[in-house]
Amino acid sequence: MNLILRSLAAHILPPALTLIAALLFWEFWVQWRDIAIIVVPPPSEVLERFLDDPAFFWREGGWTLYEATLGLLLGSSFALALAIAMAHSRLTERALFPLAIIIKVTPIVAVAPVLVIIFGFGTTPKILVAALLSFFPMLVNAMTGFRDVNPGALEFMRSLRASPWQLFWKLRLPSALPYLFAALKVTYPLALIGAVVAEWFTGDRGLGLVIFVANANLDTPTLFAAVGVLALTGVTLNVLLYLTERRLLFWHETIRTIR
Amino acid sequence: MANVRYHVSLRSLTHVFQDSRRALKALADVALDVAWGQFLTVIGPSGCGKSTLLRIIGGLLRPSEGEVLIEGAAPVESQRRRDIGLVFQDPALLPWRTVLSNVRLPLEIDHSARDRPAPSPEELLELTGLADFHTYYPHELSGGMQQRVAIARALAFDPSLLLMDEPFGALDEITRSSMRYELLRIWSAGGGAPSGAEGRPTWRPHKTVVFVTHSIPEAIALSDRVVVLSPRPGTVRAAIDIELPRPRTQEMERTAPFLDYADQLRNLLKEAPA
Repeated sequence: MNLILRSLAAHILPPALTLIAALLFWEFWVQWRDIAIIVVPPPSEVLERFLDDPAFFWREGGWTLYEATLGLLLGSSFALALAIAMAHSRLTERALFPLAIIIKVTPIVAVAPVLVIIFGFGTTPKILVAALLSFFPMLVNAMTGFRDVNPGALEFMRSLRASPWQLFWKLRLPSALPYLFAALKVTYPLALIGAVVAEWFTGDRGLGLVIFVANANLDTPTLFAAVGVLALTGVTLNVLLYLTERRLLFWHETIRTIR
Repeated sequence: MANVRYHVSLRSLTHVFQDSRRALKALADVALDVAWGQFLTVIGPSGCGKSTLLRIIGGLLRPSEGEVLIEGAAPVESQRRRDIGLVFQDPALLPWRTVLSNVRLPLEIDHSARDRPAPSPEELLELTGLADFHTYYPHELSGGMQQRVAIARALAFDPSLLLMDEPFGALDEITRSSMRYELLRIWSAGGGAPSGAEGRPTWRPHKTVVFVTHSIPEAIALSDRVVVLSPRPGTVRAAIDIELPRPRTQEMERTAPFLDYADQLRNLLKEAPA
């Protein structure tokens, strides 16, 4: 128990102290320079606004998280399916990868309003934007992962005449897990961004809408509180991913070396 | 099956690795016969095509020219019957599986094999001296232990032919020389089941082994016959029968006949025009 507490303190205390120091500096700076609240609000005002109605922020944040998660699932599923096809055949890779790059280089933020026009309000356009943003990093990582297989293990499986299905489930997928987790750590925050951006343009719910409206009203405390909730969501997701990764990938070098 | 004189026969085997820029001749006109139950070692300098030869016998690589016969048929036939066991220099275990689960992997791939007489994964771990390590993960084991797991895994279907590609090449010298005699012990074990395996037909002892190495003492200590390959492209330079009594022991490595064989092999390997 003592050990757990100590490791918790070792991992959480340093960033927490840094964060508190930064907020304090920010608070005093704003007070000292007498900066108008519509330009930069002091953290205390932001916290006050949040504590005024936390349920409001959690509810809107919940919508954003929901959309981002569905988008992430959709984008990742497509990316995985495509990566499997491409990892198995160079021809498929040549046929599809250039198209995937088009998705990557297209500024999705600019496409978002078009998607809203096509799909109207509601959840669909947000999911799509989140999916589009999370698609490419997952695709590239998964492709590398499915190919990064111990050649000896692959030959051994082949000598046993394992079916492609068995090769995938018993060898390729577990081998790719470290890559998939690395991708998720990038794509989940990206999906959040995608959902928020889409909410700006649809304007029916979510933190994106909160930010948009607060910005229009020069209501900076609300804006910053929403951004803070968003950041907190991102951090929580990353911690959860990290913990899952540690449990699942106990056998992998990257996890074994941090002990 | 016994009507085929040799377990493995290679006839004028030639292999060329071809890519867009160049062609590399790895093996040239190799002819070789491996008798039933023989422990045959292929020795040669690095890059002489030993591994290529083994992969061709195992049906993992199709030779450019020539013929491979296992029990008088193509290697694919043996592969289909799961009658070939493979061990590489890299144990290539699946790191997310425990020792037991790694040894069980072949049975998961071919379910029908469960109905055939073959040692159980537990028996194999007993045989390879890993009875206390069922729940360990590969990264918790030393290199020698990992290689024992790989050997147990290769024996899962009780294959009649075992192909080993420098299995002890990555081990330290001390582990390496003790693993030799471990392998011989495992090789000659069989017939009777370990205690408790009631009514279950057990593995066949003295499987045919084709073993690849570049260690002279290893080749002599293990083999009935040593085949010397010349450097690239690999051709058979000589074949020597090792007439040392079995069971072989570590002490034999210091006896005159052993050292004579070592001299003989060293000279054969030296003839190589560098």
